Amino acid sequence: MKDFQIFLIGDDAVAVQPSDRIVRHPLARSLRSSGEWVDVVPGKEIVAAQFNPASLSPKDAVRRMEAWLEGFHADSDQEGEVVDLHLDTSSPNALDLEHLAASNELSPAAFLEKVTQSDLVVDMLGFTPGFAYVEGLDPVLKAERLAVPRQRVAAGSVGLLQGQLGLYGLSGPGGWPIIGRLTNRLFDLHRERPFLLTEGTRVRLNLMGR
Amino acid sequence: MSFEVLKPGIQATLQAAPRRQMRHFGVPASGPADPLSMALANKLVGNAVDECALECPLGMVSLKARTDCSIAITGAQVAAHIGNRGVGMHRTLVVMAGETITIGAPEAGARVYLAVAGGFAGDEFLGSRSTCLPAGFGGLAGRALKTGDIISTNTIPIAPSALETPDRMQQEFQHSYALRCVPGPDADKIAGWEAHQDFVATRRADRTGIEISGSWPKPDQAAMKASSPVFPGAVQLTPAGAAFVLLPDAQTTGGYPHILQVARVDRHLLGQIRPGERIHFLLRSPDDAARELREKLEFFWDWLPDLML
Repeated sequence: MKDFQIFLIGDDAVAVQPSDRIVRHPLARSLRSSGEWVDVVPGKEIVAAQFNPASLSPKDAVRRMEAWLEGFHADSDQEGEVVDLHLDTSSPNALDLEHLAASNELSPAAFLEKVTQSDLVVDMLGFTPGFAYVEGLDPVLKAERLAVPRQRVAAGSVGLLQGQLGLYGLSGPGGWPIIGRLTNRLFDLHRERPFLLTEGTRVRLNLMGR
Repeated sequence: MSFEVLKPGIQATLQAAPRRQMRHFGVPASGPADPLSMALANKLVGNAVDECALECPLGMVSLKARTDCSIAITGAQVAAHIGNRGVGMHRTLVVMAGETITIGAPEAGARVYLAVAGGFAGDEFLGSRSTCLPAGFGGLAGRALKTGDIISTNTIPIAPSALETPDRMQQEFQHSYALRCVPGPDADKIAGWEAHQDFVATRRADRTGIEISGSWPKPDQAAMKASSPVFPGAVQLTPAGAAFVLLPDAQTTGGYPHILQVARVDRHLLGQIRPGERIHFLLRSPDDAARELREKLEFFWDWLPDLML
């Protein structure tokens, strides 16, 4: 099967790597609705399906996945909804902005303009509750993970690596350089929809008070 | 029906069934770190194996019963008292209103489980009552116990019968662990490494994972990968040259090299490892690990017909 690679990532999860990574999300949705897997989780390149090895041997899980993929056709992704987010880049909330802008030979304002004018889309949630991996960032902006992760970044913090943003749903440890903090709550357990964003959400970043 | 918390212990939480189908929102499964011990406790008070119970890392919890009830204590080997009476583990115990249950510090093993007939009444969120400490939901207001908390229980006060865990099913924890595991997806990216040596659990340990020191290979930058799904039991190498094995509250995706996966057959033991204890990894093929899981489950199904690990 040339369009997909299938491999085990343990004794209780099988991974599918589509040759076209865009296929991950329709694939994950379809696997989830098949009801045959305990949990279905997309990553940046693969989709992992967890199974119970007491009732399905790993070998049979791989076979089941192979057979299922024979009949799988990716439906086209619908256009995601647009969510406006408000970014506070005042200095206590934008710990690494000055440094990142300087290393990219831009003023902070010019750096932020490239961020906000990028075509930003949530690729997936993962890591911790509500953490959003956002793609589409202007690739001219360069940044690397911090050499030493911070023990705590505030909920709503916006991290930046080349080509992507990471939106922290919760306070906690974080290794991405931080350019600001959202005033929107990405995760609120008292809301009917606790998660503000989901895969495919188009994000419009609006700068506040700068 | 309820208990008053006199001594809260260290990060004691209410745990029940794992949270399913939420990992793609970044929400971990949570649930007991040692599901076998929790299942044994629930059995003794007539509950389903995954009924909401109290998980007490390193014990040291004291509760005052406000009504008569049946309880059971399992997990890490520990001295326990009801009032002044020393009471055994692995049996149904009756507590009278006003009496105090005191759990000491375990001699071996890390987590003590206390179940009550009918189960504790934790907050249900996203399909489970298990506490998720990193996100602050489920269980008792999404957090660990505090002195003065009142924890409510569901309605059945006394277990229907007095039971004792069969001797052969009582786990006895030592100070070293042999854990069956299978290769992780990045095992072949790390050359010249042998699983067959002893490693040591460090003090960096909580419900998200345990750091394991030893002669791990140091991954180079090329071994870092795009964020990929990880599940409890994953052993990931860190840039600092240690490894982390993931527990039920761990992150759902990660980019560090995933070189081993502790197999389900022994994953429940991760919840009992203490700082300084030795860990030995026993490599299996995935199908062999699954067969050994079924053998272990069949052994316990005589007593716990609804057990899953």
